[in-house]
Amino acid sequence: MAEGKSNLAAQDATSDPYRRLFDAAAIGIKWSAPDGRLVEVNHSFCALLGFERADLLARRYDDITHPEDAPEDRRQFARLMAGEIPSYTIEKRYIHKSGEPVRVRVTSSLMKSPIPYRISIVEDVRAYHQAERVRQESEARLRSILDAVPDAMIVIGERGLIESFSPSAEKMFGYAAGEVIGQNVKILMPEPYRAQHDSYIGRYLETSEPHIIGIGRLVTGQRKDGGLFPIELSVGESKLEGRRIFTGFVRDMTERESAERRIEELQGELTHVARLSELGQMGAALAHELNQPLSAIVNYLQAGRRILQAAEMPVPPRVAETMEKAAAQAERAGQVIRRLREFVARGETDRRPENVNTVIEEAAALALIGAKSAGITTRITLRPNLPPVVMDKVQIQQVLLNLIRNALEAMESSEERILAIEAATKDGMLELRVSDTGPGLPPEVAGNLFQPFITTKSRGMGVGLSICRSIIEAHGGRISTAKRPGGGTVFAFTLPLEA
Amino acid sequence: MADNPTIFIVDDDEAVRDSLSMLIESAGMKSQTFGSCREFLARRALPQRTCLLLDVHMPEMSGLQLLDEMAKRGIKLPVIVMTGQADVPLAVRAMKAGAVDFIEKPFTDELMLDAIQRALKAPAAKSPADPAIKERLAQLSPREHEVLLHMVAGNPNKVAAYNLGISPRTVEIHRARVMEKMAARSLSELVRMALAAGVEPGSG
Repeated sequence: MAEGKSNLAAQDATSDPYRRLFDAAAIGIKWSAPDGRLVEVNHSFCALLGFERADLLARRYDDITHPEDAPEDRRQFARLMAGEIPSYTIEKRYIHKSGEPVRVRVTSSLMKSPIPYRISIVEDVRAYHQAERVRQESEARLRSILDAVPDAMIVIGERGLIESFSPSAEKMFGYAAGEVIGQNVKILMPEPYRAQHDSYIGRYLETSEPHIIGIGRLVTGQRKDGGLFPIELSVGESKLEGRRIFTGFVRDMTERESAERRIEELQGELTHVARLSELGQMGAALAHELNQPLSAIVNYLQAGRRILQAAEMPVPPRVAETMEKAAAQAERAGQVIRRLREFVARGETDRRPENVNTVIEEAAALALIGAKSAGITTRITLRPNLPPVVMDKVQIQQVLLNLIRNALEAMESSEERILAIEAATKDGMLELRVSDTGPGLPPEVAGNLFQPFITTKSRGMGVGLSICRSIIEAHGGRISTAKRPGGGTVFAFTLPLEA
Repeated sequence: MADNPTIFIVDDDEAVRDSLSMLIESAGMKSQTFGSCREFLARRALPQRTCLLLDVHMPEMSGLQLLDEMAKRGIKLPVIVMTGQADVPLAVRAMKAGAVDFIEKPFTDELMLDAIQRALKAPAAKSPADPAIKERLAQLSPREHEVLLHMVAGNPNKVAAYNLGISPRTVEIHRARVMEKMAARSLSELVRMALAAGVEPGSG
């Protein structure tokens, strides 16, 4: 023992190339005697524990080993001594000079001559553990994100074979991950893409010209059961161990598409309602305008007939008959107009009790989809326990849609953009308010806003609000506008709570 | 007739005023016409036997506003409201505001002259219910009476159906029976009879 130590200690640290190599090693190396004395240590080992070489050589195994980790180390060392194993590697903690534990991986073996010295190679694994913890954390975070987003994630390699298939993808496509991993991704798409997908990848690998990577497109996916559905696909590319992988994020657009279809339908209905309202307004105007002269005609004819009768003079019978028939025809014209009005007023409206909150929520959702709603804060204040209100839901939603769209447009260049939709009850009426933080209405427009052909928009006919007014008044309510305190405009309309 | 009644006419349409006054004079009564509500309100004393034929849709002041104004000023005379629109809620409002009758334009001379005669008999008050109408009302089943209230309130069938908890189709059947039992030729006539008999819309 003493011999060994003196051997090493005696060597000139600067002249011996092995010694220099020993000290230059980036990894910690230590020799210790079977009784635990430290015989030699290199620079890296000293640096790891924060001691000078001389300090360490004055210490023993027990002084620098964490007491909790010592028993396992001893057990393994005993097996080594017994010749059961040629070497062993364990993770354990040393104690740094500062008292802090230092986690290391130690590989120990024996050098038997002249007495069994223990040689230990010591790696600092703190950085590794730190990196591992970070990796695990970020992986967990990523997984939680992937689990939470409805988007499916599919990873494929350069040959188009599926390498990873997220739970959302399983749900979306109806395949279990195990069924599709290793399969060509083209099974997830219908023809003609299915037949061509391999050549898409080939072309990209050859030309590096992206057609979908980094762009995102609306395409069609095919489920396991053969069903087709619209998807929005965006693909990212990355390099992993020298090869390229492609990660596809897939969003099921079925609901969005149907929402857009619903908007189109509603817009169609709006046009229809608008036409009907115009017809209704025209019908009402016609009825009034034509009824006046018709009434006068009937009155004149009947007065004339009476005057002739009272005059007690011979009247050609054909004259009386003619006047009689003229009066009957004028009255018939009145009937026609009346029927037209009744038809327009009653024929197409579909009134029934509706849940007000649902009506508002749907209208708001519809108005906001596809609208330039970025940067807009929407506040919807509903009133619970409202009784159902009798209305033509489509018409009232058209009014709401109109007011909300107007509000959004009004705020396009506003700094503060708050859209508020509120429901309240007042004097047996339901009141719905739509307010914006736009520039407010010019005073010259505010007064006759609900008249046809009044508009503040560069595009548009200016019939929207006049139709809103016809609809609301036909429901027995009123529509009005006011300045919003703090800037902007409030549009409010009422509906009778009880019909 | 020594005591010839004078009939006032308020209508913004000159031809209507002129033709109406000719009709009234052909029936042996006097008439006086006004082109607006303000003009009518500006006139001085009222003759003993009189009634007012009042148009609803007029600019500035509507016929309904004039009724309110007359009530405020204590002007008492029977008013027949004329409207080109068969709008039940409007008719109900007019009757509630004090009109004794309402008539849709255009009308036959008979209808108008009868209405005037009825109004003259019941000056400044709603005409007493015709016993025949009361009798017809009594023939309605409770459900038919409920449907009548909705009709008089101007409610669409769907609303009546919802409130009564029956199908719109059933409401239609009840409506037809009500019209038949009340011997009403039109919805306006039904409303007029019902209101004259003291049926209150919305009291169902």
